[in-house]
Amino acid sequence: MENKENIENRDDVLLRVEHLCQYFPMGPGRELKAVDDVSFDIKRGEVFGLVGESGCGKTTTGRSIIKLYDITSGSVYFKDQRICAGTRSYKDAIKKARADRAAEIAALKKEKAERLGRGEENDVLVPEYLRRIDEVKSRYGAEIYKLSMQKAEANHDQKHCDHDYSDKEVARMTAERDAALAACADDEARAKTMREYKDKLRIAKRERIVNRIQMIFQDPIASLDPRMTVRDIIAEGLVIKGIRDKKYIDEKVYGILEKVGLVREHADRYPHEFSGGQRQRIGIARSVIMEPELIIADEPVSALDVSIQAQVINLLNEIKERLGLTILFIAHDLSVVKYFSDRIGVMYFGKMVELAPSDELFAHPLHPYTRSLLSAIPLPDPNYEKNRKRFVYNPLAEHDYSVDAPVMREVSPGHFIYCNQAEFDKYRQELGADK
Amino acid sequence: MDNREVKLSIKNLRISFRTDGGKVQAVRDISFNLNKGETLAVVGESGSGKSVTSRAVLGILANNAIKEGGEILYDGQDLMKISEEEFCKLRGDKIAMIFQDPLSSLNPIMRVGKQMTEAMLIKGKHNRSACRKDFNGMLTRLNRYMDLAVAEGDAAVRAENSAKCAAFDKFECKHLQLENAFVAAKEAASEAVSAIDDILFHIEKNATAGLLGEIKEVVDRANESVNRFVADARASELAAETDRLKAITKVAPMIKVRNFVKPIFDRNAQPVDKTDYAEVAKTLGKIKDILAEAIAFDEPNFFSLAYYLTFTGETVPEMTVAELNAFTRKDLDEKFMLEFIRRAKSAIMYSNRQSVDNKQLAIATMAELVGIFDGEFDKKQAYAAGKAINHAVETAIDRLDTIKDNISYTFRSSIRAAIDSYFGGIVRNAKEEKRYAKQKASYDKKAASGKTPDWKVAEKNLVDLDAAKAGIRALIERIKTRYERDIAEADSIDFDARAVAMIDYLKLKASGVAHKVTRRSAKAHALKLMEEVGIPEPRKRFRQYPFEFSGGMRQRIVIAIALSANPDILICDEPTTALDVTIQSQILELINKVKEERQLSVIFITHDLGVVANMADRVAVMYAGKIVEIGTSEDVFYSPAHPYTWALLSSMPDLDTKEKLEAIPGTPPNMIYPPKGDAFAERNKYAMEIDFEEQPPMFKISDTHSAATWLLHPNAPKIDPPKAITDRIARMKKAADEAEKLTAENNDLQQTVKATPNSVDAKADDGDGMSAEELTARTMGGDLADEAKNAGVLPDIERAATADAQAETPAKKPTAKKSAAKSATAKPATAKASTAKKTTAAKSTGAPKSTGSRTTARKSTAKNTETKSDKE
Repeated sequence: MENKENIENRDDVLLRVEHLCQYFPMGPGRELKAVDDVSFDIKRGEVFGLVGESGCGKTTTGRSIIKLYDITSGSVYFKDQRICAGTRSYKDAIKKARADRAAEIAALKKEKAERLGRGEENDVLVPEYLRRIDEVKSRYGAEIYKLSMQKAEANHDQKHCDHDYSDKEVARMTAERDAALAACADDEARAKTMREYKDKLRIAKRERIVNRIQMIFQDPIASLDPRMTVRDIIAEGLVIKGIRDKKYIDEKVYGILEKVGLVREHADRYPHEFSGGQRQRIGIARSVIMEPELIIADEPVSALDVSIQAQVINLLNEIKERLGLTILFIAHDLSVVKYFSDRIGVMYFGKMVELAPSDELFAHPLHPYTRSLLSAIPLPDPNYEKNRKRFVYNPLAEHDYSVDAPVMREVSPGHFIYCNQAEFDKYRQELGADK
Repeated sequence: MDNREVKLSIKNLRISFRTDGGKVQAVRDISFNLNKGETLAVVGESGSGKSVTSRAVLGILANNAIKEGGEILYDGQDLMKISEEEFCKLRGDKIAMIFQDPLSSLNPIMRVGKQMTEAMLIKGKHNRSACRKDFNGMLTRLNRYMDLAVAEGDAAVRAENSAKCAAFDKFECKHLQLENAFVAAKEAASEAVSAIDDILFHIEKNATAGLLGEIKEVVDRANESVNRFVADARASELAAETDRLKAITKVAPMIKVRNFVKPIFDRNAQPVDKTDYAEVAKTLGKIKDILAEAIAFDEPNFFSLAYYLTFTGETVPEMTVAELNAFTRKDLDEKFMLEFIRRAKSAIMYSNRQSVDNKQLAIATMAELVGIFDGEFDKKQAYAAGKAINHAVETAIDRLDTIKDNISYTFRSSIRAAIDSYFGGIVRNAKEEKRYAKQKASYDKKAASGKTPDWKVAEKNLVDLDAAKAGIRALIERIKTRYERDIAEADSIDFDARAVAMIDYLKLKASGVAHKVTRRSAKAHALKLMEEVGIPEPRKRFRQYPFEFSGGMRQRIVIAIALSANPDILICDEPTTALDVTIQSQILELINKVKEERQLSVIFITHDLGVVANMADRVAVMYAGKIVEIGTSEDVFYSPAHPYTWALLSSMPDLDTKEKLEAIPGTPPNMIYPPKGDAFAERNKYAMEIDFEEQPPMFKISDTHSAATWLLHPNAPKIDPPKAITDRIARMKKAADEAEKLTAENNDLQQTVKATPNSVDAKADDGDGMSAEELTARTMGGDLADEAKNAGVLPDIERAATADAQAETPAKKPTAKKSAAKSATAKPATAKASTAKKTTAAKSTGAPKSTGSRTTARKSTAKNTETKSDKE
């Protein structure tokens, strides 16, 4: 991405996705590129919408971020800590470096043979070429070493980011305890503090950074265990986190139930006793109780009735305001996304094709795919609908990438588009004409 | 809208479900009509009874459903009363349904291909025999009435009548064979042309992967398109080209790389494509030229041609299509058709007159017997009276009317059921009273002894005898008013139109007979449908199982299956809820297209109001088992009247919504204990006291629009819809006005431009009646004017262009004449216009080519307007 400034200015960036690739093996030698080189960042407190047709990889992106898959390549930073890292790009780079090294050495040997053929002295040539080959070897060796270190680092981050985070938490907690201990006057008080912090330390040890990201699923029926009561469902995360205080858990559950517009009495019921909207509220309560900083909402309203949709959207909005949440909102209903999101990324076949603030995107859609998507939104207005012309997107007809390959470019501040230089100029011109 | 044919009418439908908790009243007294070729959208929350209604139409209600009452009238049958066997003939064939959940409506262990062709094959066979039966039945009846109409006992005329009918039967089948072959060939040709366009595009873009299979397909299609009237003249040329194409595109053998370390073949080796695509493109271009020419050929009139072939000549005479048409038409008219129509008309007139007489008799009978159903009456008497009235009604049915009168045809079962319910009710009520008395006594006894029983006495479930009685009378009253109307209208019937309608009906049925579904044709049709619903690589997908498809793909398969049997009524139960916008609008376009083509009636159930606005001609808003508002989509979206509609509209964000959404508070009422008053009152912030007391009746706002809310009562306080809605409507109105202004401006521009070239033929038209030719010529003139306009947007240049065209006219005259002649062949029935006029029309337009130029003209117009709007 070209907005270096934005990335440098990391204070308010909560989640940063860099060159995320998620490939799935599809039999020998074939891969499905579900997500291919997607980069974006989400600022603290904003709602980032991800739209695209089904199968374009928006759900996979969400799931990769929360580590439900092991990503192939790229990295995801959450609160400036790398939580996902793929090694494919390093592996490829190492492979390439090795191939280059072999090619260069072969070229040198060839040159040497040629010079020998021209009758030059063997005794002079051998040490010269040995030196030159060594030079090449050491040059590439350093590069390969660097890459493999990066690869190892990525591997470590991928596997142990939670551990690193809990270590940090434990260290912080220990420091806090030590401070408290130092402040204590006698042994009795000290023992009391020790007891107090024992539990906190245990919880800190089990802390995971991914817990700070929570997910809301699309289908409120399938995502709730039918054999657990609402209390168990909502409290499950807390229990896993290591909290044993029943009373504390109950208080927390009741509080959250009220926050999402349900009542205390609902806690002892089973999911099948609720309507669709209420079930989705339970799903929301379950993720909000973990006090996450980022919520990945994967089509939270698609399976609901209109009237209930409005209730759930209002609820999400309210909770967002009250708890200062950041939301990655994945949906295909563009009117809802427009209403709810600050910025929107449009995905097409695993690629992010356009990224802009939502008003800007709807006012000046530039990428032809975005246009086709916008032209397909049905609105509750018969006259408009009768005259609506759907615009069909055909990548072959729209783009000519045989000469110049496309990358993400910033057309106007905050408005990124996946295009090559010729298209970039065209889009600039269009924007200029528009404004 | 009123004079359109009513396909399905639902009257006072009431359906409940037995559950452990009690009786859930899912549908409470709803009535609506579905016209032919119309989309009725049913909107409402889940649980409002919209799905139950549609399921009742299809006869697939759950086992615990109780059909409390009402009628669903379709094609002379009451779907509430027919048996399962009869339903089997309707489902899929006449009434098809797209279900909400695609996974549960597909068989997981059958390949989708089989599931798609299954219905077609089963229905195809049944349909042929049914059509045969209808065709024969109608023709025999027609024959009989022809005999009756002319004279009793005139043997010669009778023999002639039978001969005419037999002849009609004979050559109609021939007609369809010819026409089907022609249509198939033409379709193959046009498919090949569009496929060639696609391939050429890919070759141009250098994306040749997987093209070879498509090329093979084109070759097949091109070969299929050889027909006497399609690609006849250049058939040999076409065959040569396709053979050449086959030779070029022979796939090079797979090159396998031997690996010496591990002596196995490389599994990933790809076949190397060594095809010379430049050559392929050239050959394809030639094929395309031939086929494009073939498609442009006019369609001969197969109806008259078939008559000619069957009775006059053996082979098709060698002449141009226009001449052929005129020739065979004349032949048919002289020898058969005019006479046949005359006789058919007299038969229909006779039958109608008889039916009117019988209707008068029936009204008399009813007037005489309806008194029996007042006050007390005994069983025997009632059934006898019912039978007598029924007999009168049955004799009064006009059997030659191609549109079945639902009320008369279902009268027998309705009156019987009504009388049954009354007498059954008497017996049941007695039993119920007894049970209640017994239980109450035992309860009271227990209560008297100081205990509180842990059970309750179930309420009396009585049949309302007065209502049942009133129901019988209403039935008779309804048919009586209907007959009175029919008698009053009898004089104004256009019997010529009726005769033509009769022939069309016979043609339609005959086409059903001629249409044979084989395994192969079913597969071809299924593949085409799969392509239409947007499934890529249909040939590969055809052999897959449902689990190999994604949700959206599965839904498309289900839609394709529903469309495959070519139904009369299509019920869509939230078909696109699970799909994303692009696919959704693709599918909606498909349904709309099919609807237009086949005059399909659609019931569209959804909760997405955007989709409703797109699809619906009329909208019914349902809440708690009742229709609360019904009207055209303009009525409901631009002037909604019911608070529930307001709430629905405002709870949905559109692209301009910024403020907090107005969610509907609370949940729908429990339908085991339906509220006494307006069901929506609990959640309605505009509710008045009366809303809790009494159910509002339907208030009529306009002819097409009515709503059930007390707010429309003249005494109610005036309440405006919420601000979100008024704002939105204002916004929509403004957008519409702007769009209108734009189009108006465009029209003005066009008109000024048009004025010059059209003035010539406008003069020529003076004093003449309008004929179809003139209209065609005029539109042609208009189109070409547009084209001329595109050549130069300024009127001056335009005028110069026209002048040029006129100067050139002498040189181009022959072609122009031909084009006019061609346009005339489109309507051979009225081919009597003067050639002079045609030439004038053609001259004024200066038409260089015929149909081809017309289409290009249209295209360039479209393009031009596009660029123009872009500029703006």
